Amino acid sequence: MNVDLILEALREGFPTDPLEPQTMPIDETIVTLTPENLRPAVQMLITRFGLRHLSTITGIDTGDEIELLYHFWDRQGLTLRTSLPREDARIATLTDLIPGAAFYEREAAEMLGVVFEGHTGLDTLLLPDDWDSGPPLRKEVE
Amino acid sequence: MSRITIPIGPQHPALKEPISFLLTVEGERIVESALRIGYVHRGLERIFQDRNYVQNVHVVERVCGICSHVHTTTYCQGVEALLGLEVPPRALYIRTLLCEMERIHSHLLWLGVLAEHIGFTTLFMYTWRDREIVLDVMEELSGGRVAHAVNIIGGVRIDLDRDHAHSILARLDELERQIEVFVRIVQHERTFQARTRGVGHLSAEQVRRYCVVGPVARASGVDVDLRRDAPYAVYDRLKFRAIIAQEGDVWARTMVRSMETIESLEMCRQLLTELPEGPLAVRAPRRVPPGEVVSRCEAPRGELVYYIRSDGSDRPARVKVRTPTLTTLMTLPDQLRDVNTADVPTVLSGVDLCIACADR
Amino acid sequence: MIDRIVRWARRKSPWVLHFNSGGCNGCDIEIVDLLTPRYDVERLGILKEASPRHADVLLCTGPVTRQSRDRLRRIYEQMPAPRWVVAVGSCCCSGGVFRDGYNVLGGVDRVVPVDMYVPGCPCRPEAIIDGLVRLLETIE
Repeated sequence: MNVDLILEALREGFPTDPLEPQTMPIDETIVTLTPENLRPAVQMLITRFGLRHLSTITGIDTGDEIELLYHFWDRQGLTLRTSLPREDARIATLTDLIPGAAFYEREAAEMLGVVFEGHTGLDTLLLPDDWDSGPPLRKEVE
Repeated sequence: MSRITIPIGPQHPALKEPISFLLTVEGERIVESALRIGYVHRGLERIFQDRNYVQNVHVVERVCGICSHVHTTTYCQGVEALLGLEVPPRALYIRTLLCEMERIHSHLLWLGVLAEHIGFTTLFMYTWRDREIVLDVMEELSGGRVAHAVNIIGGVRIDLDRDHAHSILARLDELERQIEVFVRIVQHERTFQARTRGVGHLSAEQVRRYCVVGPVARASGVDVDLRRDAPYAVYDRLKFRAIIAQEGDVWARTMVRSMETIESLEMCRQLLTELPEGPLAVRAPRRVPPGEVVSRCEAPRGELVYYIRSDGSDRPARVKVRTPTLTTLMTLPDQLRDVNTADVPTVLSGVDLCIACADR
Repeated sequence: MIDRIVRWARRKSPWVLHFNSGGCNGCDIEIVDLLTPRYDVERLGILKEASPRHADVLLCTGPVTRQSRDRLRRIYEQMPAPRWVVAVGSCCCSGGVFRDGYNVLGGVDRVVPVDMYVPGCPCRPEAIIDGLVRLLETIE
């Protein structure tokens, strides 16, 4: 992975996004995008850089917002960070671009209440069918 | 021909762990399948937030019994990175030694399970008997056969002297002779090949689409091995090959895992003979300064990822675990399509599922 | 007379069914290990069965998750009496490290009556055999 070329392409393609690239352990670069540009950015990463390996999607309820981290890897790590409002956490699905995102989106949906628009199979993955106590990783759920 | 739906699981002789399938069949051929996981979902990511970093080492080890050491390795590695600790070389060698011994154990266990599922009970008995050699070594080193509690944040808590290292090397030689017998069987035994060749095929493109990792990916020609491509612990100091096959079926996966076992044995030899002197651990503070880390290791089933966020307290704000089995689970509907019902146990065994890992 | 033979057979050759209700697999592989050459419980007359209808003893591992609760209950009900339950491993006995998980109900005795608790994390094969033998001694 050529991190510099990728960052340059992201700056060109999404000039109004914060980006603010940082390095974090272990050999990982993290950039911040707006939710609307997350999917177009991934599309660009796939078509221009052949970056297709999505390790996983981490969802975090920070108290102020729902943060989603998309962890990509190709000899080095690249994480795309985006934040969604807690009352209405929705973002476009990646499953048509990367079928391997299916389980990760389902898990973020059931654990944090995120809606992945366009995902055709958002049934519960790990929680029982009769779960009625709210998304377990949300701060207000005990 | 009309279609029938057959439910399998969560308790079923063909399945080692609770998972359920709905297979839609036309005659003997599967046309569609759906799977349901979550029977082993213990809510670990939430539990991690209610424990401190030290307690979590104990919990992380119990995400999965078979790959317990690599879970603690990935977790401790991440926390050590957040703390900016430099783990002493001797500790890293010992940590890597257990990683490779665990890989040998996991692959031998898997080969036995596959053999049992295709009716080759003799091979099951032989592989499980010989994996006792590995379990004995791990028990002598750590006190535990299956859960070893070797890793601590900052290093390891076990040691071995020169005599012990020699004794282990002798037993590794004995084990290698046995494994070579198994490799010959897998390569040449015609009934084994008849049951596994062409079954459960995945192309390299399917592997990339589902972001599959580990031996299943390597058996379809995708050349990725984190130990070589993003070395952690002391893998940058070891000589080894990543084993790749092209056929993409259960037979190819068997070849990959068998040859990987031989490579791991050789790596254990290097680790034991080159073990440097020095301390076993550095002191780790209880509170971790705010930060985030993505820690990756090559578990026996592939890329294991831990994302940890710290907030300055003695408890993690978030621990996200992605286990390699999740990736292979996503390929199962593709793998099971057009397969005969008699081959279902073979396909399921071929991917080496670890449902405890997947469900967490 | 027949009764005595049946009781002897039950004690001398218990058929076990293994069910994982939510565990990490550590105890499960030690249970499967019982069949393999080092421990070889078949010499003790213990056979691993595939169907609850054929089993005398239910060997449970793992804490009970919400999804497993009904399955566990049904399996127990399908076993013909007399039947016994052995809880193998600490989390089967009490929930273990997972006891406060949001999806965990606790040990297996929340759902079925347990006749023998064999703690350990994971449980050693020797301990499982010991637990089974002690259970059989109480059957008379």
